[in-house]
Amino acid sequence: MNLFAGVTNAKSPVVRLRDLIRNFEQAGNLVQVLKGLSFEVYPGEFVAVQGSSGSGKSTLLQILGLLDRASSGLYELLGRDVSRLDDDELSALRADTTGFVFQNFYLIPYATALENVLLPGLYSGKSQKRARERAEFLLESVGLGDRRDFLPARLSGGQQQRVAMARALFNEPALILADEPTGQLDSGTSSDILDLLGRFNREGQTIIMVTHDSQTASRAGRRILITDGIIESDELL
Amino acid sequence: MKRGNQYYGLLLRGAAAQAWKAALAFRLRSFFVILAVSLGIASLTVIVASLEGANNKIDELVGIFGPDAAFVTGGSTISRAVGQRTRTITWNDVRTMRDSLPGVYIVAPMSFTGKATLVYANRNFELDRVMGSTENYSEIWNWPLAEGRDISAEDMTRGASVCLIGTKVSQELFGSGNPIGRTIMVARVPFTIIGRLSERGISGGGGNMDETLVMPLSTMIQRFNQDRQYFRMVRLKFTDPQNMDLHAGNIRSLLRYLHGLGPSQAEGGEPDDFTIITALDVQRFISMIKGGLSIFLGLTALAAICVSGFVLANLFYISVSERSMEVGLKKALGAPSLAITMQFLCESVLLTLGGALLGLCWGGLLSLFLRNSLFSIELSWRVFLCSTLAAVLIGLIFGLRPARKAASLEPISALKGGG
Repeated sequence: MNLFAGVTNAKSPVVRLRDLIRNFEQAGNLVQVLKGLSFEVYPGEFVAVQGSSGSGKSTLLQILGLLDRASSGLYELLGRDVSRLDDDELSALRADTTGFVFQNFYLIPYATALENVLLPGLYSGKSQKRARERAEFLLESVGLGDRRDFLPARLSGGQQQRVAMARALFNEPALILADEPTGQLDSGTSSDILDLLGRFNREGQTIIMVTHDSQTASRAGRRILITDGIIESDELL
Repeated sequence: MKRGNQYYGLLLRGAAAQAWKAALAFRLRSFFVILAVSLGIASLTVIVASLEGANNKIDELVGIFGPDAAFVTGGSTISRAVGQRTRTITWNDVRTMRDSLPGVYIVAPMSFTGKATLVYANRNFELDRVMGSTENYSEIWNWPLAEGRDISAEDMTRGASVCLIGTKVSQELFGSGNPIGRTIMVARVPFTIIGRLSERGISGGGGNMDETLVMPLSTMIQRFNQDRQYFRMVRLKFTDPQNMDLHAGNIRSLLRYLHGLGPSQAEGGEPDDFTIITALDVQRFISMIKGGLSIFLGLTALAAICVSGFVLANLFYISVSERSMEVGLKKALGAPSLAITMQFLCESVLLTLGGALLGLCWGGLLSLFLRNSLFSIELSWRVFLCSTLAAVLIGLIFGLRPARKAASLEPISALKGGG
């Protein structure tokens, strides 16, 4: 069984942005949070989007994860222009192509570790055959094979985040989006989580990680620095 | 990216499985919803079951009354209460009806006394009334004997001091002993018991039908100083029960002619000085009571169901806002709005079905208490079906708004709210 079956065509970009703009209305004023971003992310890349709070990095991640829409500009996910899709089509695309890792883990409190990993399978429309086997395999691969029947409350923060990472991989996503994945963890555990992300990436998984912390960002293969809604720098590490 | 029907089947299965887990996880909410819904369903169970009971009661009462029987009492129900009716039915009326009414095969005059005390050895039992009947009481009243024999024609002509007793009387005076052949005092007059009537239970009027004693009419007239000319009532039986309305019309015409009242009240004659009751009247009377009962119980059940529905809706609103993180997460994982709606609807229907089960249990308990009343409650598959259907409807109707609210949550704000 392959962890990273979502990794396919090496030529075309997973993500392609052209002049992406996001405006918010705030007390009658138009506030431009993203002021025209353009970049591509190719299969197998591990990109850190770094920026201070208010830089627009979280908004960018939400747009990349199809949880929010751009005000103007182009966003292609796997070659599809997402601005043309309705909400249900976005849900379907999200289920089939992306995996999320959140700062606050967001595990369902009344479901076991294994059931949490299985959750994306409910919505992907892919065959449910061997779903349980895959979930067990994924938990094993993040080192929690012996915790599969534990409720989240009985797991440490680092263990919860590893369950969330196994969950992100469940549907074999083309893209993993991580939002401050180590924001709630101490430095030792943070390092473990980043090691795990690095391992995913070495095995071919495309990852975009948002963080405010330059040390965390330095664990990626490429750093896009965002300040005030524009790209300040875009460098390979 | 459009999904096929199979996908929605998978969504529903997933939603049902998660609903089960959520019902177990949020036990307090489940408890209150099930309790509230069970009370609504219990009241619905009671109404449906008591209407079924009423229908069976109608059949039973019509059976007791005799579907082929009519009943004529002296006096008019319109002008006088039961006890004060004038005696207007005579021996001559009885003879003429027996000879000239088409289709009649029994015309049996009846009389009764007031309260009488029965004594056997050191035991007493007081009866509200003692009946006087012609021969073949059991056949006339469709009331089989449990043991012994019926009043015979010879008993009638001799004015014999014999009697039939009801099961309750037998129990009170003889316990489980055999009453046949024993002599008891009826208002200080000795009578020999020749038969015991089978058990009948509570009558339509609320009295116990087994508290009865029947003696030959001739004996009653002689020993208890009854009017020789008039009778309290006459019971008639006809060969073709499907024409009871026609027979009632014949009885009316004949008695009006015999009593010299003119062809009919509408054509300027006197009002009836007698009252005719047939099985159809009994049926109409019970149906009327049933109608009133169903309106009253129906409104009560509706109110109870609405209350339980609002309890459900409110608890689900609270639950949705407490679980916004869960909803936001599922949307972020690609759950379409429909999947969220389905999950909450599954939860509410699961709980209302639990409520229906508990409500049926309440209804069952209540039916034990009401077993011996006029309208006994009878649980049947129809009651079960109605309750289950109502529960599903409560779950869908009152669960829909909270479920739609959950489905309309924006994933980003829902996740921030749950952080």
